[in-house]
Amino acid sequence: MLSPSSVGSPDDPKSMYSHPQNNVYRSGDKTSPISVILVSSGSRGNKLLFRFPFQRAAECPSSLSGKKRNPYALNTTGEVLEDQDGDSREQSPLTDEQLVAGFSDIILATILATKSDMCGKKFELKIDNVRFVGHPTFLQHSPIIQLSKTDPSPKREMPTMILFNVVFALRANADPSVISCMHNLSRRIAIALQHEERRCQYLTREAKLMLAVQDEITTVTESGCPQSPFRQILPKCKLARDLKEAYDSLCTTGVVRLHINNWLEVSFCLPHKIHRIGGNYIPPEALERSLKAISRPYHALLLLESEKALLSQLPLDCSPAMVRLIKTCSAVKNLQQLAQDADLALLQIFQIAAHLVYWGKAIIIYPLCENNVYMLSPHANISLYSPLAEQFSQQFSGHNLPSMLAKFSLPVSLAEFRSPLEALAQEAQLIQMVVWMLQHRLLIQLHTYVCLLIPPGEDEPGLKEEELPLAARVGGRSLSTPSALSFGSPTSSDDMTLTSPSMENSSAELVAGGDSPLNKRMTETLLTSLSEHERQVILSIPAAQSPEDLRMFARLLHYFRGHHHLEEIMYNENMRRSQLKTLFDKFRSVLVVTNHEDPVISIFQSPMD
Amino acid sequence: MDKKLIGCPVCIEHKKYSRNALLFNLGFVCDAQTNTCALEPIVKKLSGYLTTLELESGFISKEESKHKLIPIMSTLLEDLNATGACTLPIDDANTIHLKLIQLRKDPPIVQEYDVPVFTHCKDLYIKSQWDLTTQQILPYIDGFRHIQKISAEADVELNLVRIAVQNLLYYGVVTLVSIFQYSNVYCTTPKVQSLIDDKSIQEECLGYVTKHGQKRASLRDVFQLYCGLSPGTTVRDLCSRYSQQLHRVDERRLIQFGLMKSLIRRLQKYPVKVIRDERSRPPRLYTGCHSYDEICCKTGISYKELDERLENDPNIVVCWK
Repeated sequence: MLSPSSVGSPDDPKSMYSHPQNNVYRSGDKTSPISVILVSSGSRGNKLLFRFPFQRAAECPSSLSGKKRNPYALNTTGEVLEDQDGDSREQSPLTDEQLVAGFSDIILATILATKSDMCGKKFELKIDNVRFVGHPTFLQHSPIIQLSKTDPSPKREMPTMILFNVVFALRANADPSVISCMHNLSRRIAIALQHEERRCQYLTREAKLMLAVQDEITTVTESGCPQSPFRQILPKCKLARDLKEAYDSLCTTGVVRLHINNWLEVSFCLPHKIHRIGGNYIPPEALERSLKAISRPYHALLLLESEKALLSQLPLDCSPAMVRLIKTCSAVKNLQQLAQDADLALLQIFQIAAHLVYWGKAIIIYPLCENNVYMLSPHANISLYSPLAEQFSQQFSGHNLPSMLAKFSLPVSLAEFRSPLEALAQEAQLIQMVVWMLQHRLLIQLHTYVCLLIPPGEDEPGLKEEELPLAARVGGRSLSTPSALSFGSPTSSDDMTLTSPSMENSSAELVAGGDSPLNKRMTETLLTSLSEHERQVILSIPAAQSPEDLRMFARLLHYFRGHHHLEEIMYNENMRRSQLKTLFDKFRSVLVVTNHEDPVISIFQSPMD
Repeated sequence: MDKKLIGCPVCIEHKKYSRNALLFNLGFVCDAQTNTCALEPIVKKLSGYLTTLELESGFISKEESKHKLIPIMSTLLEDLNATGACTLPIDDANTIHLKLIQLRKDPPIVQEYDVPVFTHCKDLYIKSQWDLTTQQILPYIDGFRHIQKISAEADVELNLVRIAVQNLLYYGVVTLVSIFQYSNVYCTTPKVQSLIDDKSIQEECLGYVTKHGQKRASLRDVFQLYCGLSPGTTVRDLCSRYSQQLHRVDERRLIQFGLMKSLIRRLQKYPVKVIRDERSRPPRLYTGCHSYDEICCKTGISYKELDERLENDPNIVVCWK
């Protein structure tokens, strides 16, 4: 892709020369590369084929007539760099370009073009404040390449390339996850180039062009001003333009889409740039956790962009499953229903959802419904002058964001907003506003968690202190991640505690069973995980006299550890909210109830924690 | 190979050497996964020392002294791995001291309304090791006084107190919580469940919050108290609702512990002036960026007074977060 600014003359004010003033390339940004370099090693030795940005020292614009530029000369802007040692603050700091510009072409070619036994592995080299990352790739060639059968020129041995390396130079204190992302990109480009080389010797041809331009420029030595050969390479070599584009995209949006040889697509995203809240980027550990959080069928996928916008960004040959998912996805539908509607396996839904989350196109929420309770997120930007406030009033005219947010200061359920006098259109707008606020991470959803804590006995308080509460004792029986494949139907329940098939049915059936010996035995079995004292306390509760209530309590006992919220229990056990709430109320003397956000998906709303 | 090599090559040019130059490099081999930022200054320092030794007495090039390198290197390896510090006697005149300094994350800015509280028992720290400013403010750090108050009572300038506390924060000696008032509102975080799951936090908590001279508080009571904190409930409300549970529990230390371990979080009030006429000045403090705590600290008005002023103002909405 040819961008007009790259083909300017040295006097052109929009030429590459002006990029130091462009604040996109600010030094100190740890997630952007400083430079991209392509080297090769072959029969002609180690060569630096291309580098971008060009070396400043090589340029000599007519405006600075006479004075010979020192490569270490300082910018007047003088940005402050943090030095790892902290002991060279007295010296004037070098900007990023000077860090890499200090390395000449020959030095770079020597250090970055490795031996063949380092091919196919991650290459990382740190010199003072610069870190080079790449993936040297081996090229296998037939010794003589016949370009054309009708070529009358005498056959001579073509200079062969043995290996090449696409290297990104980063600041030395870049995060390890950024380094591995850059390595990933280097590898992807290398795979594409290797493929194209095998197919039509693309890389050899481009390299030949690049070296020819370099040779040409060095032989044409004009008085005083050596030109940068790389500037001349750009208009002639597609590969050079691709590398420049990769560098520019990494520095700005973090999304790279290249078409190597106008044929193979290489796409890549740097999560550190695309996942931003306010001015800060989300730490990579947060991203890891958010991908792991995609595991519950009762959660929903909320797209962060409109369906149309998302679909337009997909390449032509994208997976049809992804398209179907995007089209059927909705904030009120959970992943289980989405799987059914889009006619995909639940596991596939999880995978596509993870992909969308990674690319910053979606987050996981609990599906919207009127009983959901929302509250302001502690990280929400409620400033009057924030860009979010501006966007909100543009989208929802007549409303301002702080007033809307103030309504969520205390936890409020969506049902409370509804009034019989309000028109349906207003209700729909409210839903839209809530969705907007969720997309911009302004709201958190609160869930009810319940924990079993028996009051200690009067006569043996000492013993009780040593004994762990029930929650910790049954900790081994993990319910937290039911395997996705076992959730074939919404009515299935956990099979952890139950030995008899009859118990797998909904509670309705149990009630019908009445006081049958089977049910009684089940209840007793369930209560054996409790100590004698605990059992006695539970049985002495008035509600425990009712066998159905006691049975329900016993059956749900393993949820009362403070890790499963009300909606999860409802989903797993196919129970109604009112049933559960009544049960909690009846046994309130042994249960402690609290409300807070779901830790599994809280990472989406509070990634900075 | 899965290994990382750290080195600092040195080249000394002189006619006396066999190729007119001596090149040497003393480096470390580490696992590829380890974080080795702390080792780099040591490598640089060592290369500097060795260069000086070579220039002064030909330490590396001379055969007699060259073999001394082996015990030096083995001491280096063992001591750095064991204690992170190393003393290398080279000869009668020279000794090299090296220490691994772990770089920590930059601490946040300390505001005048923040309250520092010691993470461990105060007596663990040898006071004489700290600078004079810190020594002067140490007695006033009790987990209840905020920075402004400490500055006033210890008679130290506000910014100095802030910097000193930030320094303590960097080393993990203190952590910051918010001002305690009975009108404060808190709510639980998902971490509150760790009180049930984690025995060590339980022990620590029950020990910390029990009133002096009383029998140890029960886990159930403490957990109920924490869960009783919710949006809309002030600490005063909690005290009246759960008076029975508070027999053996000091509510101020309960809140303090909860904040230190992130079991609960404070809900702050942020006023926002949403309606104003075009001619008046834009709001300076009522923008949604400044909490009541901050406004009260900066302007000197009391919480109650600020509340009265703003509750009745129709142009201002208040957000809790």
